[in-house]
Amino acid sequence: MKKQHVLCIALVALLTLVSLPVFSQGVKEPAAAGPVTIELWYGAAITEAGPPPSDWVGFKIIKEKLNIDLKLTALPSSENDQDVKVQAAAAANNLPDLFMVRRDVLGRLVGQGLVATVDDLYAKMPIRTATHYDSVSRGHARFNGKTYGLADPGSINKNEGLLIRKDWLDNLGLAVPKTTEDLMKVMRAFTFNDPDRNGKHDTYGYGAFQEINNYEAWPGRRLEPIFGAFGVDGTWSLSAADPGLMVLKPAFYDAMTYLKRMVDEGVMDPNWLAYKKDDFRAAWKQGRFGVMREQNAAYAAESNYAPFDKNFPDGEWIIVDAPVGPQGLASIGPYTASFRIYAISAKAEQAGKKDKIAELLEWMASDEGYYLLGWGVEGVNYTLDKDGIPVADGIANRDMAFTGSVGQTVTQLRNMVFYNGDIELYARYPKYITATSRKEMSALDVLREMQTKEWTAAIGSDTLPIPNADLKRFYEQGLSEFITGKRVLNKANWEKWLDEFKKLGGQSWNDSGIAFAKENNLLI
Amino acid sequence: MERRAHSSVLVREIKRHRSVYLLLIIPLTYYIIFKYVPIFNGQIAFKEYMALDGVLGSKWIGLEHFRTFIHSYYFTELLRNTLMYSFGKLIFSLPIAILLAIAIYESNRAALRKVVQTLAYLPHFLSWVIMYGILLALLAPGDGIVNDMIKGLGGKGIDFLTNTRAFPWIVIFSDAWKEMGWSAIIFIAALMGIDPSLFEAALVEGANSWQRVRYITLPSIRPVIIIVVLLRLGTILDAGFNQIFMLYSTPVLSVGDIIDTWVYRQGLLEFQFGLATAVGLFKGVIGMALILTSNRLVKRFGGAVLF
Repeated sequence: MKKQHVLCIALVALLTLVSLPVFSQGVKEPAAAGPVTIELWYGAAITEAGPPPSDWVGFKIIKEKLNIDLKLTALPSSENDQDVKVQAAAAANNLPDLFMVRRDVLGRLVGQGLVATVDDLYAKMPIRTATHYDSVSRGHARFNGKTYGLADPGSINKNEGLLIRKDWLDNLGLAVPKTTEDLMKVMRAFTFNDPDRNGKHDTYGYGAFQEINNYEAWPGRRLEPIFGAFGVDGTWSLSAADPGLMVLKPAFYDAMTYLKRMVDEGVMDPNWLAYKKDDFRAAWKQGRFGVMREQNAAYAAESNYAPFDKNFPDGEWIIVDAPVGPQGLASIGPYTASFRIYAISAKAEQAGKKDKIAELLEWMASDEGYYLLGWGVEGVNYTLDKDGIPVADGIANRDMAFTGSVGQTVTQLRNMVFYNGDIELYARYPKYITATSRKEMSALDVLREMQTKEWTAAIGSDTLPIPNADLKRFYEQGLSEFITGKRVLNKANWEKWLDEFKKLGGQSWNDSGIAFAKENNLLI
Repeated sequence: MERRAHSSVLVREIKRHRSVYLLLIIPLTYYIIFKYVPIFNGQIAFKEYMALDGVLGSKWIGLEHFRTFIHSYYFTELLRNTLMYSFGKLIFSLPIAILLAIAIYESNRAALRKVVQTLAYLPHFLSWVIMYGILLALLAPGDGIVNDMIKGLGGKGIDFLTNTRAFPWIVIFSDAWKEMGWSAIIFIAALMGIDPSLFEAALVEGANSWQRVRYITLPSIRPVIIIVVLLRLGTILDAGFNQIFMLYSTPVLSVGDIIDTWVYRQGLLEFQFGLATAVGLFKGVIGMALILTSNRLVKRFGGAVLF
């Protein structure tokens, strides 16, 4: 009998033991005397490189100077995976103290009461606020009149462009296309007239993949120059004269018709619907198509351009103006102010860590933090050139340079300190000579040129309401079915589809978007 | 008195087979933590879950999440697609796995058997991300190997991955290709258990290979086939999230969207954990009902059953 009792007690003890972690999710209070632990979930600057090593000098400096024990966790590189990780932690009321989060997700966390307001922190971080947080930034993470996230500058505006293979144009004796009809002729020639002179029918006019976000709806960013020619680039029109969803504008049908022509005539790379981002990038480097919209660094940074340079030493891309449509309109696409939001959990606020987090962020913005997080340790990971720009020259061990495999790990937090200042841009995009064709290239020059092209101002369009998942699917699926031919694209079918879209919630999405844009003075 | 005697017998049995019971602790712990403890949290299927209020403190809303799911715009299509892939995989993958197991078992050449077995198992260990890359190389409309062959024979390229007619077949066949080797293991194990004297007797009687398979092999592994089918029925509403999530794209949503991908978008990405849990519960209840019903039917006809 006693033995049975012992067995029962042992079993209960085992169950209790294994169940404890499941139920123990209370707030961890910082130890009274020791350093304050701050758990940070960050967006890695270089996703293919590892996290800062455990002996990274930054941990020591932060502990000694700020009395903070910094615990780092890198978020997944895919935005969807980031959202799932953050929301899963939120559902368990187990968010870290400080974490990067997308605006849509932040809005849901605000609704759940899981994040702290940050309005009081700007004054406590004068250096950081001066370089990182202007009025647009503060408005970006504002919900119901309060700011719930520190919106740091993200990628640079207008950093993409429409590129065309100049060597193909030259081979075929063609001029740079100016209008959509010129572009169609060039795309036909690129597809059917063997522009690379290899005797094979293995090239196409335009290359793309479906890259969608809440302000660049289907077919997405890569085809915006086509839709821009019809004045319907982006998800939303923020024109005060005619605001609302672009898909409801009559010109959207014309843009769809043009895209359908591209597909039907075979000038569009037929793999475009199956490509993921990496497939698309591998494809242009293999010379599959001659027109594309691409990002400056993805095109011109040394490591990204190298495969194309090796494959096609005589190949040359040039940045061209957006094609002009039948009404004289042209645009590379919509642009908005891009931010990376860092939020503080309500749990961290309750544990009294908010001021400590402000102290940490302010230190990051100081010269010491800026250079340490941006480039590492001088002499070890970088040197300064005659203009004071951090460079990798003069570092004996190339792996340790901030551009090298080991050095990259100590700059993983650089997106928390960078604000697209000149030093960063010069350091990030140095001039170089390509290995095979010996051309001088600079992703910064490319960027500057891209920024001179025609773009559509859509500041704040990424903060407008988003549709529910079913409506989003109806929208994307319907448009893609018109292009692939599953639905016949004619006026009657288009109107019928639009009616169904409106009934399903499209009209109310449109109305709520306009109301939001008016309330927040986004219309121009 | 009788109960006490029964208990002491149990204790004696546990003591006698203590090493087996020790081994049981690990899977038992796994099941308690990952399968039984979450049942408690399953109540959020009936609540408007607020993380700050916790599972117990959140507001009770009854069957609202179930209604949302059942009345959602794509419910019928989601259910149709999910069942289509589940039954499609059952109908195609299972016979292929059985055929592979029999072929491997019947082969007299040990070296060939090992090579085939290894090659058949290999795809199971590849993730769907890698499988997608392989499928793209094979099936891409522009330069896929299969399309190059079709075009070489004078045909027109097929957009296998973005065509609503082709996509379901790609899903079913790629799953069969990836999993047939792994699924065959259980049948090979069952084949190993067949009494060799049955085959010897059949040879003496002059039975050919097909007759041996038909009258000895298949009837002998029938109980295992039934058990496998019964177990698959329990997860009939799991059509393979990882695979579909990797393969599907906007043009094939009408035939590619399944319950799990909907839950991912509507539940996890939209922070509707109550809704996601409700759908999980819905799937579990349907699966359990199917297992119980089919188990009972099989029992009635005298076949091997789960319980």
